[in-house]
Amino acid sequence: MRRGGWRALIVGVALSHVSCHQEEGPYPSKELKLIVQASPGGISDTVSRFMAALIEKDLGVPVVCENKPGASGALAFSYVARRAPDGYTLGHAPVEIAVVRALGYADVGPDNMGLICLVSKIPAVLVVREDAPWNSFEEFLSAARREPGRLIMAHSGTGSIWHFNSLLMEQAADVRVTYLPYGGSSQSLASLLGGHVDAAIAGTGEAIANVQAGRLKVLAVFDKARSRLYPEAPTSYELGYEFGAPAWSGFFTPVGVPEEILDRLESAFHKGFESAEWTKLCEERGMEAVYMGRDEFREFALEQAEFFSEEIPRLLTLER
Amino acid sequence: MTADLLTGLLAILQWKVLGFLAVGVLLGAVFGALPGLTATMGVAILTPLTFWVSAEQGLAMLLGIYCGAIPAGGIPAILINVPGTPASIATAWDGYPLAQKGHAGLALGINALLSAVGQLTSIFFLAVAAFPIASFALRFGPAEYFGLALFGISLMAGVSGERVGKGMLAGMLGLALATVGLDPMTAYPRYTFGHSEFLDGIAFVPVMIGLFGLAEVLVQISERWGKVEPAPGKLGRIWPDAAQWKRMFVPMLTGAGIGTFVGAVPAAGGDIGSVIAWEQTRRTSRRKAEFGKGSLEGLAASCAACNGAIGGAMTTMLTLGIPGDAPSAVLIGALLIHGIQPGPLLFRDHRSFIFSIVFLMAFAAILVMLVGLLGAKPLARALRIPNPWLWAGIVLFGTVGSYALNNAVVDVWAMFFAGIAGFLLRKADVPLGPLVLGLILGPMMESNLRRALILSRGDWLGTLFSSPIVVFFLAATLLSLLLPLLKKRRTT
Repeated sequence: MRRGGWRALIVGVALSHVSCHQEEGPYPSKELKLIVQASPGGISDTVSRFMAALIEKDLGVPVVCENKPGASGALAFSYVARRAPDGYTLGHAPVEIAVVRALGYADVGPDNMGLICLVSKIPAVLVVREDAPWNSFEEFLSAARREPGRLIMAHSGTGSIWHFNSLLMEQAADVRVTYLPYGGSSQSLASLLGGHVDAAIAGTGEAIANVQAGRLKVLAVFDKARSRLYPEAPTSYELGYEFGAPAWSGFFTPVGVPEEILDRLESAFHKGFESAEWTKLCEERGMEAVYMGRDEFREFALEQAEFFSEEIPRLLTLER
Repeated sequence: MTADLLTGLLAILQWKVLGFLAVGVLLGAVFGALPGLTATMGVAILTPLTFWVSAEQGLAMLLGIYCGAIPAGGIPAILINVPGTPASIATAWDGYPLAQKGHAGLALGINALLSAVGQLTSIFFLAVAAFPIASFALRFGPAEYFGLALFGISLMAGVSGERVGKGMLAGMLGLALATVGLDPMTAYPRYTFGHSEFLDGIAFVPVMIGLFGLAEVLVQISERWGKVEPAPGKLGRIWPDAAQWKRMFVPMLTGAGIGTFVGAVPAAGGDIGSVIAWEQTRRTSRRKAEFGKGSLEGLAASCAACNGAIGGAMTTMLTLGIPGDAPSAVLIGALLIHGIQPGPLLFRDHRSFIFSIVFLMAFAAILVMLVGLLGAKPLARALRIPNPWLWAGIVLFGTVGSYALNNAVVDVWAMFFAGIAGFLLRKADVPLGPLVLGLILGPMMESNLRRALILSRGDWLGTLFSSPIVVFFLAATLLSLLLPLLKKRRTT
């Protein structure tokens, strides 16, 4: 009877190793792993699982998503960066790849990743309740200027991309607001709808339901070009404030993956990006379908990393 | 109205839709019953698969998973003291003792039946009172959340049984552990010792698996190792008799009601709801001493409440586009993929679709109940597995489940560490319920108190008396702490 327990354990452990050995052939000859830096269900997870399903068709092998959340993604980024550069481990690359080093979470960034491509972006949007006294970004700013620190603005968490967007707003418009950090945009928007705060900053898609229902109004989109979701809302750049740091989604491998494998991956992702399904997903989830190939994405991500490593220490001291 | 209702019903009365619903329910039951695999994970992983089927079919499968997973989470809670999902923590408190007394069949039967009651009640609320519930949920600002969390924390005393002092110590330990990770306001790392693995705090599910599952195995090994096992008794009945129904009636309604409302409040789900319902039932019960030792009332309240939270969470999600708990957050994404935008407009423009959801959930609830009732006998037989095999199985599933949660080895270590700590605490007769409460409610209490103080600009009194809801929770907290003392004085 005593041995029974051990036997059960050994069988279990043995079973979990069965599927590990397969023959190698021309790439890709076995399943790919795509590491997602966030929990199941969020926008990163959706983007990754969708892209995985789309590139699967082209590559002809399964692409399995695995979630490794934690530390703004730093855990997943370092994990992928340490894998063998054989093209069988990929990672989702959100804007945080350009941020985590500046936050001090891990020594990983676009410079030690093999970037494949960028597939979407999500700008920040400043929303207030429908009954709020401000009808434009300018009116909101002048209220904030009149009584510095009086207006309370909810965001999705200290160190999150939406928090940085609001800090950039403070800096560009020379105003002061008081922040109320939440654990995600759904909570910060609920707190705005419930009348507990004056304004909230979130991703364009996150606020759309209540904007369309007339419960929230958009004061500005923090981006260069107008958002397809809010064609009427002015952008920060249009209004003369040159700031805006949209979130984005891309994919990466460890450094040192052979060129021909990267080419193969990039073309698979590009096909996925051009599919009708992807366009539809972007529309439904409030993302802008934007594509950048390998070289363009590398340049862009390095630029972003430099921007955040300069701005973040300054912005965080700005917030006392 | 009736036209919408009929259209909504007809849209789902198709073999394919109902087939997907059944597949979802069964998958959900698997996800729920395996500790470490949660309802949230099940819904998230299967969401992309539904992209290529119609909205009704996809939604049927995902709602089936959600509605199937929560009741199934009670099965391991009852059989092996490991809650399958965090929502069924309170189910283990009375379900497991009941099973150990030889009533595993009955406990599983009650879980199946009252889960369905909880779900159907909350679905009924969703159908008739979605907007009042949602606007109530929106009134929860930081101060209200703090009040709710404080009230939850005050339940520690009740959850401790007769060992109030030790229970408080365990509760404080839970609160202390809850401070690990990034500071919720400033994002400054606390007690991480430089390891980025701890930035998000100590993962709750592995700790739960360790504290309840592994610790239970260790306790049993220390007590029963090498001893002859008693011959397994009869499985007993599954269906409660009339007297038992009568005893469970009020707890069941209390549970379903509390579950619905707590579920509707964003960021508070079935775990908190069922603990509150359990404790409220205990407090008003004439058989207080039975609670935690296999009370039917306690089991009824917790099963109904953790399932009531489903309808509550769906209410907030559908009316406001804001999820009431983690699985419904994933469901929002799934709805969007099918071109359905949850939010106030959904009720104006797609009324029949709302009824489709209501019916799908109701069918799922009934289907889950049938699966649970049919499965009760075979599952209860699991307890006849010779102990060493059962122990090894629990350790195996616990390890795999802890890893599967975040695909992180550190969580497996957390599970083993929590298991050994839980074993030592159990041996010292320290109740573990308060520790879990501290872990769940600590972050909610801390972050919302600090948010409330930001809003009131540091004014404590202004924060604490800012709304009737806060005052209600503070009064309830005070009452729950003082009443036992007053009663004691009167009796001595």
